Amino acid sequence: MQGIIRTIRDGSGFDILLLLLALVYLVAFSAFPIIYNIIMSLQTVDMFTIASFDRPFVGLKNYYDILSQPLASTIFWNTVKFVVLSIVFQLSIGFGLALFFQQDFPGATWLRGLFLAGWIMPALVVGAIWKWLLAGDFGVINYILMSSGVTDERIFWLSDPDVALYAVIIANVWLGIPFNMLLLSVGLAGIPRDVYEAAELDGAGAFERFRSITLPLMRAQLGAVISLGVIFTLQQFDLIAALTQGGPANSSNVAQYWSWQLSFQTYEISLGSAVSVMMILFVIVVAAVYVRSTHHEHSY
Amino acid sequence: MKRIVKWMAGPIAFMGALFTAATAQAEPVTLEIWTIDRADQYIYLLKDEFEKAHPDIKLNLKTIEFRNMVNDLARAAATGEGPDVTYIDNPEVALFASRGLLLDLTPMIAESKIVKKDDIFPGPLASVTWDGKIYGLPRGANTIALYYNVDMFKAKGLDPDKPPRTWDELYEAAKKLTDPAKNVYGLAFSAVATEEGTFQFLPWLQMTGGDYDKVDTEGGVKVLEAWGKLLDEKLASPDTLIRGQYDSFATFNAGNAAMAISGPWELPRMATDAKFDYRATLLPVPHDGAPRASALGEGDNVILANSKHPKEAFILLEWLHSKMPEVWNRFGFLPASKVQVDNPQSPEIYAVFEESMKYARNRGPHPEWPKISKAIYTAIQSSLTHQSDPKTALGAAQKQIDAVLGK
Repeated sequence: MQGIIRTIRDGSGFDILLLLLALVYLVAFSAFPIIYNIIMSLQTVDMFTIASFDRPFVGLKNYYDILSQPLASTIFWNTVKFVVLSIVFQLSIGFGLALFFQQDFPGATWLRGLFLAGWIMPALVVGAIWKWLLAGDFGVINYILMSSGVTDERIFWLSDPDVALYAVIIANVWLGIPFNMLLLSVGLAGIPRDVYEAAELDGAGAFERFRSITLPLMRAQLGAVISLGVIFTLQQFDLIAALTQGGPANSSNVAQYWSWQLSFQTYEISLGSAVSVMMILFVIVVAAVYVRSTHHEHSY
Repeated sequence: MKRIVKWMAGPIAFMGALFTAATAQAEPVTLEIWTIDRADQYIYLLKDEFEKAHPDIKLNLKTIEFRNMVNDLARAAATGEGPDVTYIDNPEVALFASRGLLLDLTPMIAESKIVKKDDIFPGPLASVTWDGKIYGLPRGANTIALYYNVDMFKAKGLDPDKPPRTWDELYEAAKKLTDPAKNVYGLAFSAVATEEGTFQFLPWLQMTGGDYDKVDTEGGVKVLEAWGKLLDEKLASPDTLIRGQYDSFATFNAGNAAMAISGPWELPRMATDAKFDYRATLLPVPHDGAPRASALGEGDNVILANSKHPKEAFILLEWLHSKMPEVWNRFGFLPASKVQVDNPQSPEIYAVFEESMKYARNRGPHPEWPKISKAIYTAIQSSLTHQSDPKTALGAAQKQIDAVLGK
């Protein structure tokens, strides 16, 4: 008995205790829901059988049903566009802003803090505001575009099937910029000043310094921000719910929203689960990249 | 000691008296009620009246958002934590009844002195009937009609006494009334990708002979072409595709649409928001002499099968049913049964909706209604956005509907 107490106090027992706590937490709050979800995707489940495990097992039929729907390819490409465009713009604008606020000017840190306001706001609120801005008949953005002569015709941002997805992407980019900026700012602050000074003495110009010092030293942060960006973008649900609900005619529908629609609008819960399991598989790959890139964080 | 006894005798006697009084009056039954009403609507306004009329029954109200109601009820049914009485939207009654989750009211209604089955209008009665049994009582009914702005009619040289009667006349009127310079569209309606889109579409389809189980028809194509023309020529806002009825109607109230298709639930809001002269008329028909149709809306009061107080719950349902003559003036519902409505507010509009009710048809009933509805609004959307032509869109919908109906 005393031995146990001793190892917990200052031996390997303490390590095991910590490990157990983390494991119990993970099993209860992550592994169980994921496994439960996988099980549901292999059964036939509706609203009324959700409380019991005893449901007809159908194997991979749900996956076959989902992938054979004509909608599947639309949703897939919408999701690819949504993720890739969101990440590209969030990252480049966020990185640009991070570099900008790295400069020493009065109020720089202050203003950088203010940028976080967007990140703090719930996506539903952001969605409601963007819905006003992007409204077809009375929206602010249309008013600005038309009165400045950019277009003569109103753009129906949310109801034109050729535009709706991009409207959602614009709002999502806006929402994601502060987070990208903040994480990259931290990375930039970690690069020692003297490396730049040495390079400057060697005659390297601003662009050369960015290319050969900033980018390589930021590799870990960029990898982390991109992987987190992919994960967050694939989780983006509220914004779509507030802006277009995936419409019109599914033109702005993406996998995560489709999964919800299947589960809670037509109560085909097993199909909704199948979509989310496929998303989980993809996210696991992304998460592996993320873990690898943070692994390199101490390399310099 | 004596003093203590004397000192305690009073309270003990008092408590004894309380006890006998309580047992004599019997413990009041508390019914758990779920509703979609807000604090100034239907059941909240009726609660005190009911408790006064039936002091032995107390009501405990809980508001659930309309869009969460089915989810929450199904979860509650699965775990056995449900209410005694709840609101259910018309097309969802079959979903719950078919799974044996609702109490069959047929025998109770047969013995009731207040509820008479024959008095309930056929549409609302069909919506609470599943497999020949009655599972709920309609709290009222609603339907849709065409509202129009009389001032705008006069300004554009249209006769407000002769509102559009056919689809062609509706198109012509919308064309004349549309005024982009003033931000005015001819017509506001809803083709949104939800139950509301299906709700607005079905009457048009039914006037041409189709129905929810027969959408792949020439008439269906005609409806989508008519709707498409209104959108393509910007006689209705492109946002018709993403706006529900409430938001669409707001543009009519604001003077940005000259006509609007919606139901009587808009009247309380119009009284304050619409600063112009307005009237209503029956939904236009495909051509002169074509049969009329209209949508049947509103919800029902039902008792869950596992309620511990079915007798008291039915007393509540009966009592709510007896309020039918008041629902128009107090809640903006149309009566769902034959009753005399004295001094209706907005009497001309009431007359229009009262007539419209004669043509109102139920959606379904079918236990998998959400899937049928989705097939229909998906077809509407893909045709109006020109992703597919009306015939192909309706053909795809028909295939999905046939699969649900097991044809």
